[in-house]
Amino acid sequence: MLNFKELEDKCFELRQTVLRMCLKANTGHVTSSFSVVELLASLYYRDYINHDSSNPNWDDRDRLILSKAQASPLLYAILADLGYYDKKDLDLFAQKDGPFGVHLQNTVKGVETTAGALGHGLGLASGIALRAKMDRKLFLTYTILGDGELYEGSIWESMKFASHHNLNNLVGIIDRNFLCTTDFTENLIELEPLDKKIESFGWNCVKIDGHNLNQIDDSLKDLRNRKSRKPTMIIAETTKGKGLKSMSHDPLFHGVPPKGQENIDKAKKELKI
Amino acid sequence: MNKDITQRDAFWDELYLRAKEDRNIIIVSADMGAPSLDKIRTDLPSQFVNTGIAEQNSILVASGLAKEGKTVYVYAIASFLILNCIEKIRVQNSMMAIPINLVGVGGGLSYPDSGPTHHLLEDLSIMRALPNFNIYNCTDSFMAKELVGQSIEHRAPSYIRLERQPIGHIYENQSFDFSKGFEQITKGNKSVLVTTGYMTLKAKDIISDNGLNVDIIDVFRFPYDKKGLASTLSNYDHIYTLEEHFSHGGLGSSILETLNENGVNKIVQRLDAGQESFCYTYGGREELQKYYGLGSDDILNFLK
Repeated sequence: MLNFKELEDKCFELRQTVLRMCLKANTGHVTSSFSVVELLASLYYRDYINHDSSNPNWDDRDRLILSKAQASPLLYAILADLGYYDKKDLDLFAQKDGPFGVHLQNTVKGVETTAGALGHGLGLASGIALRAKMDRKLFLTYTILGDGELYEGSIWESMKFASHHNLNNLVGIIDRNFLCTTDFTENLIELEPLDKKIESFGWNCVKIDGHNLNQIDDSLKDLRNRKSRKPTMIIAETTKGKGLKSMSHDPLFHGVPPKGQENIDKAKKELKI
Repeated sequence: MNKDITQRDAFWDELYLRAKEDRNIIIVSADMGAPSLDKIRTDLPSQFVNTGIAEQNSILVASGLAKEGKTVYVYAIASFLILNCIEKIRVQNSMMAIPINLVGVGGGLSYPDSGPTHHLLEDLSIMRALPNFNIYNCTDSFMAKELVGQSIEHRAPSYIRLERQPIGHIYENQSFDFSKGFEQITKGNKSVLVTTGYMTLKAKDIISDNGLNVDIIDVFRFPYDKKGLASTLSNYDHIYTLEEHFSHGGLGSSILETLNENGVNKIVQRLDAGQESFCYTYGGREELQKYYGLGSDDILNFLK
């Protein structure tokens, strides 16, 4: 398990890796990946996800359903770092003969689900968590949702279902970066007050700074104790493109790596690559 | 088994017996009931999950359960189960091949007086387009019962399309060759009608009541043994197809593809619901079928 200083360094390293992957492929969601770096890194490197890279289908592993699958380069980078496959595979991200592309696929070791179509992850995770209850399994099921995904009606169908079935082994994490594809969420159709809406669906809901490692840690550390029968939703307020000033919090940078030599150089300089 | 039982009840009665012996069999219902399903709900509550009228979530929850090894049946009105959920089904069950069983009641005009929202004349086409899917268009209640064993023993994404009302039967207690996917009901003539589901029963009555010299082949699974069916059809002078489904992509389309792929150069005459309109006609299934040119007289004239 990494300490906070080490984790901070790991986050920087992961951002470098994701940027390299996406620049090489000239595609990929850099900014959507960067908003969840601290969250995914905390889950994997602070040991909040029980897993075994030598036995990816271990039945007692915790499940991670990355519903916002556009953050796939980040998950691929983490899984390579944790020994699921060779780091060299990352060089072929979204390229000919490469093992994976822009969105997530379940054929990759350590990846639970193919994803890319939004509004799937929470319901799928609910089914998995329900199975754990049925079979008295103690693993947790995490799902990471984008805030743009919350416009999908199926999310709210699943939200009702999970609380009704007391799925306190289900943890949702919303990457609340306030940005969709073309505009800010509150300009499109307002989502706020998001915590109140989720609580009214029967969930525990906590709001944190999604880049603050201490706050992330605090939100994750008691989940296994299941102090409540309710499922938990963590609203992690983040910055889309965090770590790259030149691309952050700007609707223009959805789904693309830096383009043009000047922007590429600027991004590389910021991340020291 | 009672021959007048509905396909729906025959299916759930048999599944009840299996589920009693296997706690990994789970039923996910989008708030749909049936007398036989109520037994599962009351006797095996831990194996019965009601999602409410939320079909998309039903597919997702069922996929989560099936991904984890459960044998799962999702039950809803067929038009909503398929059309409201197609993208969920596509990703979870076709793309990832998570093996859930979609049990849809009310294919075709099985809900005649409920209006066109409840009619379903597109699903064979849509589901045939998805890789990795088995589509069972159930013919009668004997087959419905057998489909339970088939779905348990051959774990694969499946769409089981059931009739809502008792419609009679054509088979006796028998086993079905589901990998072949079709059954020759009658033999010996130079003309053959290839049909499916409810229309098999209807056509059989019309042919026998009117003494028509037309054989019948019942197609009950897609994909079926294409080579085998092409070979059988190559022996006939006249080939007819009949289905309670729109023209594009259903049984008739499938037969044309099958013959073409296997080099059988025969004219196929097709009778189906066309491709023009939805139907706001009421007064029972025969009235709706007349609207679509599929009434008893239409079929008789078609085959004469």
